[in-house]
Amino acid sequence: MPPKDNPAVPITPLEQWVEAYSDYLYRFAMSRLRNPEAAADCVQDTFLAGIKALDRFDGSRDIKFWLRGIMRNKIVDQIRKSVKENKVDIEAEDEALLESFWFKYSGIATTNPDPWQFNPRKYYDNSEFWVVFEKCIAQVKDPARQAFVLRVLEDQTTEEVCKVMDVTPNYLWVLLHRAREQLKVLLESNWTGKDAK
Amino acid sequence: MFTCKQVSNALSKEDYEKLSPRRRFFLRLHVKLCVFCGKFNRQVMEAQDMCRCYKQHEEKVLEQGPTLDPAKKHQLKALLAAQSQPDCCHMSASNKNSESPSQS
Repeated sequence: MPPKDNPAVPITPLEQWVEAYSDYLYRFAMSRLRNPEAAADCVQDTFLAGIKALDRFDGSRDIKFWLRGIMRNKIVDQIRKSVKENKVDIEAEDEALLESFWFKYSGIATTNPDPWQFNPRKYYDNSEFWVVFEKCIAQVKDPARQAFVLRVLEDQTTEEVCKVMDVTPNYLWVLLHRAREQLKVLLESNWTGKDAK
Repeated sequence: MFTCKQVSNALSKEDYEKLSPRRRFFLRLHVKLCVFCGKFNRQVMEAQDMCRCYKQHEEKVLEQGPTLDPAKKHQLKALLAAQSQPDCCHMSASNKNSESPSQS
């Protein structure tokens, strides 16, 4: 096939991969896994898988993004491994929520959630806000953070996340709800401090 | 028209922006008017908007993130060099194997 012989985007030589892409991949892995060792393993696995699959690279985009695509699977593998070691148990509070009238009737946790203390939409163009947002995601507690990373940041389907985390779709809903709740509280305490109002 | 449960199910399964325009319209309408699930699901939709926007900014945000340890980089370079020259790698491995019995 012609794209393999003459790709639109030139392939960076293998000996330059580490210098060119390791930091980029490591940062992504760290933002997902929050564990330096697991993140470094993830980068290594990505490079090795990349070398093996290099003949399938079609050259339609920068190899950096192609490697990032491979790393998506490696991140899922690492989270699967971590979930196997620390099995996700449903907490009593979450069980009560799943059994609650509002959840059974309308699939929501409460009819009257606390409103935002500030309007986050105002800051969507502010890069500093997203830096704080990233720090807040890091502070969300596992397994809610892991569910959030897989479902929202890595764009896995509900079924895939349930399989990886070995939870029911209803419990995944609770985990994502917890992640959203924590993220809101964290953003309110971390951002309003330097909010110009 | 959707029921509250259908709206919640749709929002829990998928980013609402990925729904068809027709479904998105009715979902928005329901959330705007519903006194039961409106407040809650509006926050869910806002969170989805926020995450979508974050993903657009993510690459820039992560530029300030940590870098890989230089020792690990060195190790990785050696590993990739060995992988890119498999014959060489096999030879050195076989040399090692041939050396070890003589040493013992």
